[in-house]
Amino acid sequence: MVPASRVLDRNGPIADGWQRLADDAPAPAGASVLVSFARLKNEHNALFATAGAVGVDIGGDVELEELEPLLPRLGLIVVRFATMRDGRPFSVGRLLRERYGFTRDLRAVGDFIPDQVLFLLRCGFNSFEVGPNFSAEALKHSVAAYTVWYQRGVERNATVAEMRLAKEKA
Amino acid sequence: MYIYDDFDQTVAKQRVAEFRDQVDRRLKGELTEEQFRPLRLMNGLYLQLHAYMLRVAVPYGTMSVAQVRKLADIARKYDRGYGHFTTRQNLQYNWIKLEQMPDLLADLASVQMHGNQTSGNCVRNVTADHFAGVIADEVEDPRIVSEVIRQWSTFHPEFSWLPRKFKIAVTGAAKDRAAVQWHDIGLQIVRNEAGEVGYIVFVGGGMGRIPVLATKVRAFLPKQELLSYLEAILRVYNRYGRRDNIHKARIKILVRDLGPEEFTRQVEAEWEQTRHTGINLPPEEETRIARYFTPPAYEAITEPVTAFEDAKKKNRGFAQWVSTNVHPHKAPGYAIVTISLKPIGGIPGDISADQMDAVADLAERYSAAEVRATHIQNLVLPNVKQADLLAVWQRLGEIGFADANAGLITDVIACPGLDYCSLANARSIPIAQRISERFADLDRQHDVGELQIKISGCINACGHHHAGHIGILGVDKAGQEFYQITLGGAGDETAATGQLLGPGFSSDQIVDAIEKVVGAYLDIRQPNEPFIATYRRVGPAPFKEKLYGTR
Repeated sequence: MVPASRVLDRNGPIADGWQRLADDAPAPAGASVLVSFARLKNEHNALFATAGAVGVDIGGDVELEELEPLLPRLGLIVVRFATMRDGRPFSVGRLLRERYGFTRDLRAVGDFIPDQVLFLLRCGFNSFEVGPNFSAEALKHSVAAYTVWYQRGVERNATVAEMRLAKEKA
Repeated sequence: MYIYDDFDQTVAKQRVAEFRDQVDRRLKGELTEEQFRPLRLMNGLYLQLHAYMLRVAVPYGTMSVAQVRKLADIARKYDRGYGHFTTRQNLQYNWIKLEQMPDLLADLASVQMHGNQTSGNCVRNVTADHFAGVIADEVEDPRIVSEVIRQWSTFHPEFSWLPRKFKIAVTGAAKDRAAVQWHDIGLQIVRNEAGEVGYIVFVGGGMGRIPVLATKVRAFLPKQELLSYLEAILRVYNRYGRRDNIHKARIKILVRDLGPEEFTRQVEAEWEQTRHTGINLPPEEETRIARYFTPPAYEAITEPVTAFEDAKKKNRGFAQWVSTNVHPHKAPGYAIVTISLKPIGGIPGDISADQMDAVADLAERYSAAEVRATHIQNLVLPNVKQADLLAVWQRLGEIGFADANAGLITDVIACPGLDYCSLANARSIPIAQRISERFADLDRQHDVGELQIKISGCINACGHHHAGHIGILGVDKAGQEFYQITLGGAGDETAATGQLLGPGFSSDQIVDAIEKVVGAYLDIRQPNEPFIATYRRVGPAPFKEKLYGTR
């Protein structure tokens, strides 16, 4: 049976040790727990004290300044797509990586499609929580769709302009 | 003009392969129509009333002869033998089959063309002055930076899913032929007091149901810092632009809601954080791109071209055409030619495959092998020797494109309207055709003088009616097509929004109403005063009175 949701990285399915907690559910001691931003704001001291690791689920409308003081202690940030046309997670991902220096697991969830994953990777996401109809095969295909880019991504690729310069000098 | 290198060609090829896969998955049902829709839109493919419509990007309006010929081939192979130049310097085909799209895109890629980002909520195909590089009053050829923007905006990882479409236009001259203040971002290339080249940056212009002229957010942006500044604007928009209401999602609404000062403050604050992070283009790359826009080697022509002067004296039709469709060129003895795609009674912007081939032949022989598309839905031959103008005019006459009406009342802009478009409330094309027929008399047109009529078949304003000296907006009134008239709009450096004159007119009445507006102008104009100047002097009252009587 195909599970309701699963987690992939750029190569395919990966194990997921994170446990999503409802706002009123107690945090099991030592577990890796994923909570809402509202709960994190209220209970971060207690959560960091009991849980093994803490992750937060945010939307594209997040004010990153509010999240900033907690970032060093977070093991996972899940950014939610309201719809597949919601472009805010791309900016949020890039800011978390490039401006706020977040280095741990950055995960997209919601109605995005495989064809968007390459762009998400380039904006700093490394894992993807997807539904049963999401094709891991299509994801693999999409990730390989482009090999050169005009812009620099979070992965610090050489841009086309830089590759041209390198070629000229060689 | 710009020529792809291996890197550009790789991107183009990979795009075709990606879309081939997406079409395949759509046809197999692996992608729902809802999922597929934004993907096909970002390849220029719309589903219209009768068929798929493909919008091919003509970056900043510049085409080579080989590209024009390929567009003709595609019109024959995949469409019904014609295409349509749009108000954004692009070309549309109206009768495309989805299954054939991948092959069509491969054909386009073979001449370095594509449909990338001609639709969808992304940075659209960048537009520029159609006289770029050949007029005298230019700081710099705007196509250089337009190509920089084309590359930077192509498949941008962060800014491909914006709240709404995003249009950028560039002018290199103070005389604005690119309507920069009507764009989400408008750039005017300027030189500061120290002699350095940079940009005036306008943000938040747009038409649609809420017409807004752009705000000047920066009086001078150093040239080398452009891309980081564009990213700052787009990041603020991507994060904070409205996504809850499609009619309020353009950046103009964000600028309005925040207020221009707060919006500018946020952009500048974002830019301070990113301007030194390697987003800006290396200067060597700008230089490399600029080399492609080196002007052709012009012959040194120092004497007046007597054959040209004589032909004007002998041939009144030719002289009339020269007075409207030929423009001063920066090189002595050369001229810029506007090819009118507005034959009397024709469909504005339509061109058959055979006409495309003929235009390509003319450009090859007489215009350094280059053709331009204009946002007024005409074509331009940018580099014609005055000595060749008569031959060009004669050949244009043979293909039906020699009308001496550039800038005149029959040089009408019209959106496809209800004849093609699934969004339209009313037909645009037949109104344009009937206005053109009513004012067919060339002497009368030349007497009326410069007058831009722009027609949109719905409030989305693809026919730019807000910027028309006379704007016509088609609306649906209890199931009937009605047409409202606006006056006083402009798209140049004196940009203004046309004002609604009064109640609308039925399809039967609208052409008479336009004739009355023109009659009112002729009654009150001062010597050599164009329509827009008269309107600005007297306001709407005399026109209202003529149309609706005194109330």
